[in-house]
Amino acid sequence: MEKVITAVGATVLIPVFVLGYIVLGEKLIERLSGRLQGFVRPYFWTAPAIIFAGAIMVVPTILTAINSFQSRDLSKWVGFANYKYFFTFPDTLISLRNSIYWLIFFTFFAVGFGLLLAILLDRVRYENWAKIAIFLPYPISAVAASIIWKFMFDYKPAGAVQTGTLNAVLGTVGIQPIAWLVNSTTNNPALIFIGIWTQVGFAMVIISASLKGISPELLEAARIDGANEFAVIRTIVTPLLWPTVTVVGTTMIIYALKQFDIVYVLTSGAYDTSTIANQMFLQLTSSGHLGRAAAVGVVLFLAIVPLLIINVRRFQQQEEMR
Amino acid sequence: MSVAVRTPPAAPPREVARANGFSQGVDRLAHNLGRLPLHIIIAIFVAVWLVPTIGLIINSFRSVHDMGVSGWWTTIFPPHGFTLDSFRQVLQIEGVASSILNSLLITIPATVIQLTVATMAAYAFAWMNFRGRNLIFIVIVGLMVVPIQMILIPVLKLFAILGIAGTIPAVWIAHTGIGLPFEVFLLRNYIGGLPKEIFESAEVDGAGHAARFLQLVLPMTLPAIASLTIFVFLGVWNDLLVALSFLGVSPTNKPFTVVITTLVTSFGGGWQFLTAAAVMQMALPLTVFILLQRFMVRGITSGAVKG
Amino acid sequence: MDLFAGRRFLRSLTVGLTTAVLLVSCGGSSSTSSGSSTDLTVWVAWGGQELKAFKDVVKPFESKNGITVHITTTRSGDLQEADNVAAGTSLPDVGVVPSQDKVKDWATKGIMKPMETYMSGDALNAYLKNTYESLTKPLNGDTDTKIFVVGGKHYSAWVKTQLKGMFWYNPKVFTQGSNPPKTLDDLLAIQPPAGTKLFCQGLSSGDASGWPAVDMIDNIVMKQSGETVYNNWIDGKQKWSSPEIKSAYQTLGKLLSNNNTYGGSNNVLSTAFSEAQRPLFTTPPGCMFLEQATFEENFIIQDNASAKAGTDYDAFAHPSINSQYDGNVNWFGDSMVVFNDTPAVRKFMEYVTSADAQQIWVNDGGTLAALKTVTNYPDPILKKAAQAIAGAKHLLVTAGDFMPADMQHAFRASMLDYVKDPSKLDSILAHLDQVQSAAYSS
Repeated sequence: MEKVITAVGATVLIPVFVLGYIVLGEKLIERLSGRLQGFVRPYFWTAPAIIFAGAIMVVPTILTAINSFQSRDLSKWVGFANYKYFFTFPDTLISLRNSIYWLIFFTFFAVGFGLLLAILLDRVRYENWAKIAIFLPYPISAVAASIIWKFMFDYKPAGAVQTGTLNAVLGTVGIQPIAWLVNSTTNNPALIFIGIWTQVGFAMVIISASLKGISPELLEAARIDGANEFAVIRTIVTPLLWPTVTVVGTTMIIYALKQFDIVYVLTSGAYDTSTIANQMFLQLTSSGHLGRAAAVGVVLFLAIVPLLIINVRRFQQQEEMR
Repeated sequence: MSVAVRTPPAAPPREVARANGFSQGVDRLAHNLGRLPLHIIIAIFVAVWLVPTIGLIINSFRSVHDMGVSGWWTTIFPPHGFTLDSFRQVLQIEGVASSILNSLLITIPATVIQLTVATMAAYAFAWMNFRGRNLIFIVIVGLMVVPIQMILIPVLKLFAILGIAGTIPAVWIAHTGIGLPFEVFLLRNYIGGLPKEIFESAEVDGAGHAARFLQLVLPMTLPAIASLTIFVFLGVWNDLLVALSFLGVSPTNKPFTVVITTLVTSFGGGWQFLTAAAVMQMALPLTVFILLQRFMVRGITSGAVKG
Repeated sequence: MDLFAGRRFLRSLTVGLTTAVLLVSCGGSSSTSSGSSTDLTVWVAWGGQELKAFKDVVKPFESKNGITVHITTTRSGDLQEADNVAAGTSLPDVGVVPSQDKVKDWATKGIMKPMETYMSGDALNAYLKNTYESLTKPLNGDTDTKIFVVGGKHYSAWVKTQLKGMFWYNPKVFTQGSNPPKTLDDLLAIQPPAGTKLFCQGLSSGDASGWPAVDMIDNIVMKQSGETVYNNWIDGKQKWSSPEIKSAYQTLGKLLSNNNTYGGSNNVLSTAFSEAQRPLFTTPPGCMFLEQATFEENFIIQDNASAKAGTDYDAFAHPSINSQYDGNVNWFGDSMVVFNDTPAVRKFMEYVTSADAQQIWVNDGGTLAALKTVTNYPDPILKKAAQAIAGAKHLLVTAGDFMPADMQHAFRASMLDYVKDPSKLDSILAHLDQVQSAAYSS
């Protein structure tokens, strides 16, 4: 009950609190001299955000980088031992390999299917209905999505009734059931496909919006010049969509690198399916090795740094155009 | 730069086809190739994207015994054997009912706090000039890609020092810090796109920043805030990693997603209850999606496709 | 245009702010220690049937003493307790045992209270006299963290036990139950009917997947190579690649081979441990035996509420491997630890360690008491299991639970890898050696 009061209190009173902060704070600031006002005011407005982002994101990121050079309980300095562990131990190397699989295959197919669907659906009358169907898995949590697919991948021995959808389908054409999540050749693709299944809708919606923005005259001109439809897609539509595709691709790469939930729910990283994020969680919880966990986090962060640079560059370019 | 919120592609398909020359060309393509392969490819995609969810929903209305001996598709023909047992059982499992409440107690305040703080900061970044503005904003843009894993340990320690480890307010704070960068980025672009003249005339009228923010910025930004709210809300509701890290060992404060995963992993087995649990967990996101589809699409396109 | 200039508005705002701060800051702590004589808080790791049984045990205590017991189920109570100790927040009055690395520290710092302080001399003496000796008496010296005894003081009160390594079967399929196989070789020599396999097993259990096989290999090591090797192995002084452990893996390989198991390795790996028993009872049967602890009974009854022990299902204790080590028996126990010594806690602990309380536990099925004096078991299987524990020369803890966390995880994972591909045994053991040398040193 206490929790409910706290939550309702917070929901109602935090906006009131912020309102008070703004109104009272501005009252005080307006009493200051003109120059001082201009100096204080922006920090006053951005302070709550800076404090939250600083305390939860900036400072912890730096601390984690420091922790990665420390021992299990962070009591001793160990140099690069945790990194050495990461890059030499078979388990972590497998998780690194899997994260690279996710990075390549997940990103390629999520963006590729998104592009394909955006272009195809633009050509049919039931576009909106089909889009709803494709987008449907996006708002579902990774936990629920994993459970959905657990039933798709369910395995029963050959000869028994197959209750898993995929093995039942295989059975109708006389193929032996496959232990999708155990078998090393199928388990990583199966997990990656679940990720694709949840994210394609997002990619499709963005690419589709950008597709609708392409000037019809441009396409018409090309067609009058005698270009067939595939040539139009290849030479005009795809290049014009390229900037959007890279934006979507960046989002997908970040998703791929951070991937945790699907693997955690379905295999917990067994049978060589663990990713970097799973490895870090394992080090953090069941092993309780804070130094190693931090090192895994840093590796993950370093992998994302190129995207960070791209993100900042893109932002700066936009600022120049503004 | 204008980050105008795009109108969703929700116009009746007919009009879209007429308005869009691209689609007129499509018809030609269709006649050349025959539209059948196009429809078949789309049908396959739609089937693969819909069938798994339908299968789970159907299974959640079947008995544990039936699920073990036959596939969900067998219910198409009588006897259907539908029952609410799984839902009844899952609600009786210790901690499930209260975890649904916990999820709401986490999600609603976390959403409100983030958006309030983000909107304020976005206004300052958009309409105030100050030293370090660009640098701070670049840091914020950079934070958008920092993996949550990177901050877990220090934040866990911070919460322990503050004495709020394992409590729900701790998770609000964590979600706020994690969500802010993207929200500030998006809202700043939106607020920055509002017409300058309005602010100028307000200043002439002698309106202070508080009044400008509350009476001009807030009402005009409402559409963007509304779309963003849906995403933040769903993001927190669906979150597993943050909750698992900060509340995973709490006996009483776990949200629904964490409890569902412990149903899978717990000593007592019982993944047969998962069907109902998963359907209950996704009921809220799916309802939100179906009702507020337009806002969601608008939110996505305004956030990522920038003018 | 400034609408917010009014005095009244400012005042009401200030009131609102103060309330907000108060409310938010009050929402902090959740668990409470009462220190009272009418309430107590208990954390347990039990859910489902086990939780129901515990509530049955608590009910008469509450009505008799007018004490309310607040029960919380937590899957990782030891982690939460460690968090609370580190953060200085309150602990439950009665909780679950801490992880091994915390036992000595918490005992010496007085975070855990020993039975010697919260139980009267008579009650304590009766408990020590009537509880299985291996649970209360260290093998050497006066400290043994595996049974939570530090400096001669007892920090965990044992309330129930389980016998591991029982072979469950369907008496309608395996009719020789009255004369079970004496040795593991005898068991392996049994010819199942056509279409039926010798064994069933299910290793899937979320992030603990593999543990049923860990239990199996524990039994093999202690019965094949003896208690010294077994304890050294837990303590990290026995290499995984040593002949003793390698031979245990190979023996396990026979019990879980692709040919000997229902559905083969893929099915063993894909099946949830709680559903592994099902093929025992199908027609035609999928398999003849399933190795699992006494709690397996709960799963069999969950599938078929009318099943009767002895006629519909039965079990025999683990057969001998090396007759020299027949006295080694694998058990695990549930116990409670006291963090706050209050009048209510004293009464409660005296109650749960009494024969009256443990009899209620036993009557609910699927478990054994911790007291030798409880002998009235509801079915013949549990009676047999209790006799096996009573007759044991050495009761040995589950190795998988007492190794360092990294080792435990690698151990369980090795089970999955080995069942999947037994030909990789040498590289699997080499990897375990590598984990061992790191896990015990840091």
